[in-house]
Parts: sequence; structure tokens; C-alpha cells
Amino acid sequence: MKKTKKRTQRLIALCALVILYIVFRLINPAFGTYATFVNIMDASYYIGLMAIGVTFAITSDGIDLSIGTVLTCSALISGSLITQYHVPVAVGLIVCILIGMAFGLLNGVMVSYMKLPPFIATLGSMMLSKGLGSIFTRAQSITWPQAGAPGGWFRQIFKINANGVLIPTGFILLIGIAAAASMLLNKTRPGRYIVSLGSNYEATRLSGVNVAKWRTLAYVISGTMAGVAGLAYASIYSTILPGGGAGFELDAIAGVVIGGTSMSGGFGTVSGTLIGVLIMSVLKTGLPFIGLQTHYQQVATGIVLVFAVFVDVINRKRKN
Amino acid sequence: MRKKSVGLLTCAVLVTAVLSGCQTSENPPAAAAAPVEDARQLKKIYLVSKGFQHQFWQAVLMGAQEAADQYGVEIDFQGPDTESDIAQQVQMLSNAINHNPPAIGLAALDTEACLENINAAQAAGIPIVGFDSGVPGAPEGAIVANASTDNYAAGQLAAEETYKLIKERVAGADNGVRIGVMNQDATSESITGRGSGFTDKMKELLEADGKTVSVEGHTRWENKTANADVIIDVAVPAQVTAELSSIDAQNLLNKKDIICIYGSNQFSGEGLINGDANIGRLGQDVVGIAFDAGALIKGAVREGKLAGAVTQDPMQIGFKTVELCVKAARGEAVSDVDTGCQWYTAANMDEPKIAPNLYD
Repeated sequence: MKKTKKRTQRLIALCALVILYIVFRLINPAFGTYATFVNIMDASYYIGLMAIGVTFAITSDGIDLSIGTVLTCSALISGSLITQYHVPVAVGLIVCILIGMAFGLLNGVMVSYMKLPPFIATLGSMMLSKGLGSIFTRAQSITWPQAGAPGGWFRQIFKINANGVLIPTGFILLIGIAAAASMLLNKTRPGRYIVSLGSNYEATRLSGVNVAKWRTLAYVISGTMAGVAGLAYASIYSTILPGGGAGFELDAIAGVVIGGTSMSGGFGTVSGTLIGVLIMSVLKTGLPFIGLQTHYQQVATGIVLVFAVFVDVINRKRKN
Repeated sequence: MRKKSVGLLTCAVLVTAVLSGCQTSENPPAAAAAPVEDARQLKKIYLVSKGFQHQFWQAVLMGAQEAADQYGVEIDFQGPDTESDIAQQVQMLSNAINHNPPAIGLAALDTEACLENINAAQAAGIPIVGFDSGVPGAPEGAIVANASTDNYAAGQLAAEETYKLIKERVAGADNGVRIGVMNQDATSESITGRGSGFTDKMKELLEADGKTVSVEGHTRWENKTANADVIIDVAVPAQVTAELSSIDAQNLLNKKDIICIYGSNQFSGEGLINGDANIGRLGQDVVGIAFDAGALIKGAVREGKLAGAVTQDPMQIGFKTVELCVKAARGEAVSDVDTGCQWYTAANMDEPKIAPNLYD
């Protein structure tokens, strides 16, 4: 019964996405260009990757507030290694992901073994990562290598510019990672354990499952994806500012909730998350096209978010 | 008996604490009132900037450190996480004042927000030297001097150079044309000065040519005229983030009548370059102008994507600020210093007069 309701919510979200796109396009045909499509994609990568990761944390009946600043910290430190310490770009890319993983592990240990409430634990690591990144680069911002430069090949992971033709390879990457994550969450044992402990921690523990380990995994995934998101951000926006990133996590979490994942744990949908993130990107990019300033996007996101959570609450009430 | 002695001990500790607290609060004001003769004996000078986000501030810090070494003083250079974090900057200013320094340097994100602290500093006799944006609208006598670029003049310089590049296109246009102005915010003096300087000068030059001009896009600069030949479209993002700035640029670049876009600082310049990444009109049919330097903007100017940019002298800004602080702390008379600005293009950016200002 719950699954059908969730499927309905996801379907509604998908319809909303399509309708939004069409409406914007009708009001301003310039919105329908391929360049705009690539712009929307560009703005979605880093939030989408973070959102896929945090879906796991939220499904485990937790939250990860540190993903935004962990994104910045990993991109800062690895970017600094590349530009200032002349570490090869390939190594830098791996370091970026590893830093995210490390913070994820820290969060997991704090929540699962030290029994800290997820909100507090990840708030702590949020501040930790914010400061650490800044300390490492001595408060300097880092600009990743440009597309034409020798170290700029990593950008092609997200976008290839073949003589003026833009290929949004990042979209393929995002779909690929989403598919893998979805399979992990819904079809593998670790994923099912995460869903189970998010739904009823005690019952899952009593049935002999090592809940601490799987809960930690949820946060490790969240942190790792934040590291990958750091690469996406560097590919599109080049400059990483220390002290930046705080606030990104809210965009990611909003995407997750709009997509249908329940904030009370026990149900997570990666495809829904992707739809939620795309809805926000379309709003963000599209509103200026119809003459509305970007603050309206924030208002719109807030309304959509409240509505999505309201639907979730109604669903749960009906179940009980 | 035991409870009583614990109680007495606690009282004794508390009383001592209160008394010692009273004593320390009496000393500082006296020390601040008397100017210090020997610079070497000065305590730390606090500089509260707008943030570390852009390499521009790194250059300011370098200049400040140079002056500190030369005068033999210590400086503490601070800034908030982002240039939207007004509350954080106010906290830093408050903290600086509590340390009772011989002087404070301040580049306010928003003067109104800092007002209470500025009054407190003035009351405690701590001289404030404004730098970069300075502290426009501060109460009389609170800011003893400013070390900054004349931002309005810098904006005008950008307009003059840009006008030379677009004059013919505007003259030959059949329909209306649009000039975009990207301002990071609408509150700090440096940004609003450069924005207004450009907008006013451009309007003046175009009207002298017989064109009608309408300024739109943001309430602070709005001056609408119907059916104008030229629209100056001002875009200010809701928050100072790379993504929103990039979206502003994309929005402008997607308008069919756009011929030129000006980014009034490093942040907006980079937003313009990022926003053009998928559209590719900069350097083709749209003229791009920016401010300051940094690897991204320098590269774009060199390539021809940006026609040119206006550079400030950040190292001088930092140097002069500390110098003015030291002089003010010594009780000497100080006055404003205009650190100047220059227009650079791919043709002249390597010249000795310009190159040192173009930080990475």
C-alpha cells in the first residue's frame, strides 16, 4: 500500500518536472534551446550527486548536514594539491573522493558507535570540514585547471566540447551513478538493511543484523558522494571558495524530499531524488527566463518542499 | 559544616572574580586614549575585510603584511566566509574592538549593520581606517581615512573604454540593444560605486550620441524609459554564490538584443565567464568586460573572450591601510589615499606598470 503511494508521489513529481519545463518553454522559447538544457544539467550535477548520497543517510532515519562543506573541503584540498603542490590530476581526483569518504566514515562512527544524534554529529563535521579546508589552503581560494590547460582533462567527465558541440557527459555519469545507487539501495543486502534499520532500528537489531555497520555505510556513501560532487562543482565553476558550500546541503535535501524519500526513514528512492533535484534546477534556471528574479526560486522551492513533506505526512497517517 | 565551607569558598571565588573583572575594565580606555609613540610597542592592528574568497584579498593581505613588516607591527587580517555573511563580519568587528587595538581597518559589507560597533569604537577612541569599500555613511569622525580605489571613477573608466568598443554597433542598430551590468550585491560601496559609475557614464556617453537610455533590472539603479534605444540591464544575484551569478550571466546572454556585459568585480567577472561556457557568445557577438584579475579572468582577457578589464592596486590598498593605521595610532594627521585603477587588455597586460597588479 505504502509502495503504491510512494510510486504515485514519484509520478506526480515527474509530471511536475515535465509540466514546469513545458510551461517555461512556452512563456519564453529561448528556454528550450540546447544550450539552456546543458546549463540546467551543469547546475544539477553537484547537487544531484550530493542528493543521491544523502538519500542513503535519510533512509537510515538520519540526516547529513555536512555534505555541502565536505564538498568544498575535498575540492579545496585536492585542488590545492593539484595547483600548488603539483600532484597529478588523476591522483587529485582520487584524493577528493577519499576525503569525502573519510568524513562519511567519521559521521558514521559518530552516529552508529558513539550514538550521537545524526543532526548534531553531522553539524559538527560540517563545521570541522569548513575549517579544515580553509586551514589547508591558508584561507585562499583555489581555481582548478581550465579546460584548455594540460590539467583540464577531468572536465570532460562532465562535459565535452567538441568544436562547439556540447556533450553533457555528466548527465550520463549522473544516471549511471543513480542506477547503481538505486540497485544498491533496493536490490542488495546492505541496502535492504539500511532501509530496514531506518524503518525500525530495534527490530532490525534484534533480528541479528549488525545495524551499526550498515548505518555507518549509509554515511560513508553520503560522504563519498559529497567528494564526487566536489569534482562536479570544480568542473563547472572552477573556483572553490573556502567558507563556501554551507547551504548546498539544504538544496540537496530539498531535492531528496521532493522526490519522495521519507524524512522519517524506512523508504528511499534514488530516482525520486533525481527528479526532485531536476525540478529545482529547472526552477532555478527557468525563473529568470520568465522575468522573475532568483529569490522567487527560493520561495517556490520552499512551497514545493512543504507540499512534498505534507504529502508524506498524509501518506503515513493513512498507513496508520 | 562541610556544606558551609564549600559555600563560603564558592562565594570567595565569585567575589574575587567579580572584583578582578572590575579592575581590568578600567584599564583599557586609558591606554587607548593616549597615542603610542613607538610603533614597535603597538599592539596588534586588526583588519576586517570583506572575506578571503577572492585572490584580490590575498593581494591586499600581501601588501598589508609588507607594510606591517616595514613598520614593525603585527596585524590580524580577518574576513567572513562569504560576502553575504554580514552578521559574521559584524561579529569580527565586535571582537576586534574588544581587543582594544591601536587602530582598526574595515571594509564594510554593510555600514548600517556595523553602526553600533563603529560608535563603540569611536567612543573607545579607536581610529578606524576604511579600505576597499571603506565604510560609507559612517558617523562623522569615526573613519579617519580611506585607502581605496575611487570605485565610481573606476566604473566610469570601464564605461569609457567599453563605449569605444560598442559605439558603432549602437549607432548602426535598427532595433534596441541591451547592455548588461552584473553587480555582486547592492549594498557594499565598492560594488555599487563601480556599478553606478559605469551605468551613469555609459548613459551620459550614449545620450550625447543622441540615443535614449533606459536603466532596468534592479530597484537601486532603475530609471526606466519606454522604447529606449539602449537598455542597461542590471542583474544582482539573491546570494553571492557562483551558481546564481552564472545564472544571471546566462539569463543576460540569452537575450537576443544583448551586445555587451560588464561584471563589476572578480566574482561577477567569473560568473560571466562560467555562464558563457555553454553559450559561447562572449568574444564573438557579445563584448565582455570585467574587473580585477585572477586566473580565470586573466585567461579570458588573453584569449579575447573578455575585451578587457579594470584592475585595482590591491597590494597598495593593503599597504596604505596599514600605513594609515599606524599613523592614526600615533596620533598623526591622516587623509584619504586613492590607490588608482587601470584598464588592461590582451595588448598591455604584460607591461611593467600593469602586470604586478594582476594576481593569480
